[in-house]
Amino acid sequence: MDELDPIQVEIIRNALVAAAEEMSVTVWRTSRSAVVREILDYSISVFDAHGRSTAQSAAMPVHLNSMPACLDEILANHIPIEEWNEGDIIITNDPYAGGQHLPDIQTFKPVFLDGQRIAIAGILVHHLDVGGGAAGSYDASATEIYQEGFRMPPLKLAEGGKRNEAVIKLLLRNSREPVNVGGDFASQLAALDTGVANLQRIGRRYGPATLAAAAERIQAQSEAAMRAAIARIPDGTYHFEDFVDDDGIERDRPLRIRVALTVAGDSVTVDLDGSSPQAVGPVNCTLNMTRSAVICGVMMALGADVPANAGCYRPVTVKAPEGLVVNARSPAPVANRMATGHRIVTTVLGAFAEAMPGQVPAAYYGVSYAYALNCFMADGTRRVYFDLECGGWGAHPEEDGASAFSCGFHNIANAPVEMLENTLPVTFTEYALAPGSGGRGRTRGGLGLSRAFRLDAPEGAFAANLERFKFAPYGLAGGEAGQPGRLTITRAGSSVAEDLPSKVSGLKVARGDVLRLQTAGGGGYGPPAERPRAAIERDRAEGYAETSG
Amino acid sequence: MTSLRVAVDIGGTFTDLQILDESTGIAHAHKVPTTPADPSEGLITGIREACATLGVGPERISAILHGTTIATNAVLQRRLPEGAVITTAGFTDVLEIGRHVRRQVYANRAEQRALLVPRSRRFGVIERVRADGAVETPLDEASVRAAAERVRASGATAVAIAFLHAYANPDHERRAAEIVQEILPDAFVSCSHSVSPEIREFERTSTTVLNALLMPVVKTYLSRLKGRLADSGISAPVYLVQSNGGVTTPEIAGEQPARLLLSGPSGGARAAEVLAAELAEPNLVAVDMGGTSYDVSIVHDGAVRLVTQGEVDGLPVRLPMIEIRTIGAGGGSIAKVDETGRLHVGPDSAGATPGPVCYRRGGEEPTVTDANLALGRIDPGYFLGGAMDLDADGAGRALIDRVATPLGLEAGAASEGVVAVATARMAAAIRLSLFEKGLDPKDFALISFGGAGGLHACDTAAEIGASRVVFPRDPGTLSAWGMLFGDVVHDLARSRLMRADPAAIPGLRAVVADLHDEAEALLARDGIPEADRGHPVTLDFRYPGQAYEIGVPLPAGLAMPEALDQAVAAFHDAHERQYAHAERHVVPEVVTVRMAATGRLTRPGARPFEAAPDGRPKGTRPIRIAGSEREAAVWDRAAMGAGVGIDGPAIVEEPHSTLLLPPGWRLTVHPTGALIATRIAKEA
Repeated sequence: MDELDPIQVEIIRNALVAAAEEMSVTVWRTSRSAVVREILDYSISVFDAHGRSTAQSAAMPVHLNSMPACLDEILANHIPIEEWNEGDIIITNDPYAGGQHLPDIQTFKPVFLDGQRIAIAGILVHHLDVGGGAAGSYDASATEIYQEGFRMPPLKLAEGGKRNEAVIKLLLRNSREPVNVGGDFASQLAALDTGVANLQRIGRRYGPATLAAAAERIQAQSEAAMRAAIARIPDGTYHFEDFVDDDGIERDRPLRIRVALTVAGDSVTVDLDGSSPQAVGPVNCTLNMTRSAVICGVMMALGADVPANAGCYRPVTVKAPEGLVVNARSPAPVANRMATGHRIVTTVLGAFAEAMPGQVPAAYYGVSYAYALNCFMADGTRRVYFDLECGGWGAHPEEDGASAFSCGFHNIANAPVEMLENTLPVTFTEYALAPGSGGRGRTRGGLGLSRAFRLDAPEGAFAANLERFKFAPYGLAGGEAGQPGRLTITRAGSSVAEDLPSKVSGLKVARGDVLRLQTAGGGGYGPPAERPRAAIERDRAEGYAETSG
Repeated sequence: MTSLRVAVDIGGTFTDLQILDESTGIAHAHKVPTTPADPSEGLITGIREACATLGVGPERISAILHGTTIATNAVLQRRLPEGAVITTAGFTDVLEIGRHVRRQVYANRAEQRALLVPRSRRFGVIERVRADGAVETPLDEASVRAAAERVRASGATAVAIAFLHAYANPDHERRAAEIVQEILPDAFVSCSHSVSPEIREFERTSTTVLNALLMPVVKTYLSRLKGRLADSGISAPVYLVQSNGGVTTPEIAGEQPARLLLSGPSGGARAAEVLAAELAEPNLVAVDMGGTSYDVSIVHDGAVRLVTQGEVDGLPVRLPMIEIRTIGAGGGSIAKVDETGRLHVGPDSAGATPGPVCYRRGGEEPTVTDANLALGRIDPGYFLGGAMDLDADGAGRALIDRVATPLGLEAGAASEGVVAVATARMAAAIRLSLFEKGLDPKDFALISFGGAGGLHACDTAAEIGASRVVFPRDPGTLSAWGMLFGDVVHDLARSRLMRADPAAIPGLRAVVADLHDEAEALLARDGIPEADRGHPVTLDFRYPGQAYEIGVPLPAGLAMPEALDQAVAAFHDAHERQYAHAERHVVPEVVTVRMAATGRLTRPGARPFEAAPDGRPKGTRPIRIAGSEREAAVWDRAAMGAGVGIDGPAIVEEPHSTLLLPPGWRLTVHPTGALIATRIAKEA
C-alpha cells in the first residue's frame, strides 16, 4: 500500500510501542542489580531510520528525552549514519558526547531489512557502579569527571555482528560490582536484539517506505498536539527562579536556576541565561541533560497526554550559555546532575504557573534522593547498598498533593525493605510518611517520607547526593512551602541524631550506626486560611498534619 | 444411580450452569438471570430448574462447584467493613507508601490509588524479626494489647496482622493474633504468614488486608448459601473456585477469601486447558472478549500458566493465580478521533449502559460493535438470538460523524479501521503475553470465547501469525464447564532465601517436609482420601540479585542431590528460553518453596458429541471486508454437521455470539463439537 491512511498509522504506532514494551520487559525481568531490578532505572526508545525518536516505553523521561539528543550528537560528531552497519552496536556513557552521567550506559543498534536501514533500537540502563571515587559512581567530592568513573566515548561495541569483548572486560574491570553490572549489561544487549527482531518484523509486514512515512506522521501528530496545547497559553515572557542548595564542595554557595519562558504562538523558548556559573562539585548539567529536563517540565506543565517522541521537541527551543551550571564545560563533574535537573524542572513548572495560573501544581520534592552505603564485610568483601527515594507531590489547585509520590521525571520505584535486608548487611528501623512535611495551603502538599537503616557490617562508607535541605519546595498562590529534607546519623550507643549536609562523601559508618533520611514534602496551593474545615480535621485525624520531632 | 456434579458461574448478567451426569459423562448447559442482591438466590433457582429439566431430584447432586465474583465485586464497589492493620512499629505506612510505580509519567496530578485502611487505623507494635527468621526484638505483648484496644476504639471489625519477615518466622504474628482475638473475640483476624507467606512487605500486607476485609463478606455469603441449600434439600458439598483454577471448601474460603479474588476468568482458562487435551492442541492462547475487556491466558505444553501475583483495582494480590492479561478492548470500546487526527479505539468503553449507539440506550459514541454492525458482520435482527433489535442507521451515522469525516475516509473504510485498530491492540496484548515467556505465537492456536470475540478471532490470529482458531462448543457456558474440572488445591509457600547448592539440601528438605505436613492436614480436613492426594513442589529460582523469580518443578520421586540438580538445570533452561541468556556458572538462589496441595476430584469423562446432520447456510448477506463488499454465506452453528466445511467469507451465528470467517480461512467441525478455523491462504 503506497498511500498512508490514518488507520495504518495507528496500527504501526501500536506495533512500534509494543516493540519498545517487549524490549522493556526483557530488561525488567532479566536484570541483576537492585537499581534496575526493583527501581526500574532504564529506558527504551525506538528511532526511525534517521535516528528520530518515534516510540518509547513509558519509563523515565529524564532518560527518554536524553537518548534522542545523545543519538543526534553521536551522528553529528562521532559516528555518522553511513558508518552504522548491520550488526553494529554503538555504545557510550560520555556526558560530553550526549550523555548525562557515567552510570547511564546507552546502546544503540541499527535495524536492517534486506540491506536497508529501517530503524534504530536504543536502550539506556543505569548501571550500579562504573568505578570512580565512590561506590555507585556517585562521588560527591569529585571536581573533575575523571574522578567519576570509567568513560566510554561513542564507539562500536560490535561490528557486523562481532562483539568487541574487550570493551566489556574493561568496563567490568573498572566496576566495583562486576557480577551485577555484567548481568545487567547482558540484559541490555538481549533487549536490543529483541527490539531488532521486532522492528524487522514490522518492517517486513508494512514495508520500509510505509514504516518511514508512518514514523513521520506519528512524530507530526505529537508535534501538532504540543503546538495546540502551547497555543492556548497567552503569549508573553514569564520568569521564575529556584535554587540548588549547593554543590557539596562550596557549601555556602547556592546555585541559581533562572528561566525566562517565552510563549509565542505555538512555540516556546526556555532561556536559562542568568543561571549560576558551573559548579565545582558534581551537580552540573550538560546541555543535553538540561534540554531533557526542560522538555519534561514543558510536557508536565501542559499535562497533555501526548505520545512522547521527536515531534514533542520541535516546538521547544532551549537556550543556555556555555559555562553555566545548566551547560557545563568539560571536564566539570556531573554525577549528581539530577540535583540541578530536578531544579530545572521545578523552575520551568514555576514559569508555566505564571503563564497559566490555576493549572500547574506547586513544587514537588524536587530531588532524586540518591545515596549509597559501601559495606565492608568481615571477610574483606564489599557490598553496595544503593537507593533512590522520592517525597511529596505539590498541591494541585483542585486537590492535595499525593504523599510519597514519585515524579515522572525520574519515575522510581522503591526497593522492598525485606528484599534489601535479605541481601545486604543493613536493618531498617523506619519506613514511614513524614507528618507535617506537606506545605500548608487551601490544598496541602503531599507528605515526604522517612527511611532509616542501621549498618550491621563492621564498617562502611556512606555517600549521598541529596537536595532541598535549604531551599524548600515552593508553594503557589499563597500556599506555603513544603518542609525541606533532612539527613541524620545516630552513632551506635548514642541517642543524639547528628545532622549531615545534603551532599556527603566518604562518611565513615560503624556497626550499629543509624542513618535516617527524611525527604521533602510538596508545596501548598492557595492561602492556608481558605483550607476547608473538613480537610483540616481529616489531616488531624489521620496524623498528616502534626509536625515530627 | 445417577449422580450430578454442578458447576455454577455467576456473572454480572447471567448465572451459567453446567450439570454433569457423572455416570454418562454428559453435561447439560443451563442459564438463569443473575440476582445481584444475593447471588445465591439465582444459583438455587438455576439448580432447581436444571434438576427439573433433567427430571432428577436435588438429592442426586454429588458436588457443587461454585465460581463467584462476590469477593472481587466487594472490593471494586467498596462494600467492605472497616479494617485495621497491626504491623511492626516504624512501618505502619508501608500500605500507604506502596511501591511508587506510576503509569502516566508526565501527568501533573497524582493518579488515585486505593487505600483500604486509613492511617488512623494502622497501629505499630514493638517486635522485630530479621530476614533469616531470628528474633531481634521479642514481641512486646503490652504493645499488642494497646494496639488491640485502639482497634476496638476505632470501630474496625477486621484486622490484618503483617509483621516484617513473618514469612521467615511467623511466631510473632501468631501470638499477636491470639492476643487480638482474646481482646476482640468477634473481630475477623488475618495474618500475613498464613495468607501470603512471601517476601516483599507491601505486596504481602496488601494481600492480607484484602483478606481480612473480605472475611465477613464471604463468610456471610457462604452461611446464607448454606441455609438456602439446606432449605432446598441439597446436602451436597460446595466447593469455591479459586484464582488458581482449583477449588476449595467453604471453611477455607471463609478464612482465606483473598483466594477467590480474580477467580472470575479461571473457569474459562481451565476449560481451555481441558480442550487443549481434547483437541490435541497443547499450545493455546485463550481469549475472552466481552463488552469492555479482553482477557488473555496461555496454555503451554497442555498446562495453563500460573503467576504468583495479580492485582485488583490496582492493589497487589500476592497469591498463585491463573495468569490473565486484561486490556480495555471489547465490543463496547469507544472509537474517537483526537485533535491531531489520531484514531483511538478503547480503552474507554460505553459498557452496557449506555452501550453502543446501536443498542438505542442513549449511546452517542460509536463502538467496535457499531462498526461490526455497519460492516454487515452482525445481523441487526439476530443479536442475542433476535432478543434485541439493533439500530444500524444510528450506528452508521455515528461512525460517519465521529470517525469517517474527521479522518477524511469513506464510511466503510472508517468502520474497518475501527475494527482493525481494536484487533491490533488485542494482537499486541497476546504477543506481549507470549513474549515475556519466550514463546513464539506461531506455535499457538487461538481459542475464542466471550460474546464479542468470534468476529475478531481469525484476524487477531492472522496478526500474530497463528494459523488456527478454535471456537468451542457452548461458548456461553464454557467457563462453568471448565469449573467441572477443578481439583481441590491449597497453595502453600515458604519464602526462604538460599543458595541452591548441596549445603541448602537439609534446609530445603525441612521446608518441604513442613509443607507436606501442612498439606496433609488440610487435605485430611477436606476429606480427601490419601490415594487422591498430590504434593507437587515448585521452587522459585533467580540469579542472585534478580527481582523476579521463575518457578520450576522439583522432580517428584527423585532423591535429593539429583532432584535439586535437575531443578537447577531446568531453571537455567527456562531462563534461557524466557530471556535469551542463562548464566550456567552462577549458582541460583531459591526464594520461595511452593507446594500445591492437591485433592483430585473425579474427572468428568469425554463429552459425547453427536453432530447434526449436514445442513445448509440459512442465507447470504453482503459484508464489507478487506476494502470491498463481499457476499458471505450465513450459517446457523446448529446446522454445521460433521461433513460441513466452509470457506470464508462466511458468518456463523449462534444465539450469543457471531463468528466471522474471513477469506482465506476454512471452517470445519471437530469430532468433539468445536469448530476449527484454519488459515489456508496468506491473503485472499
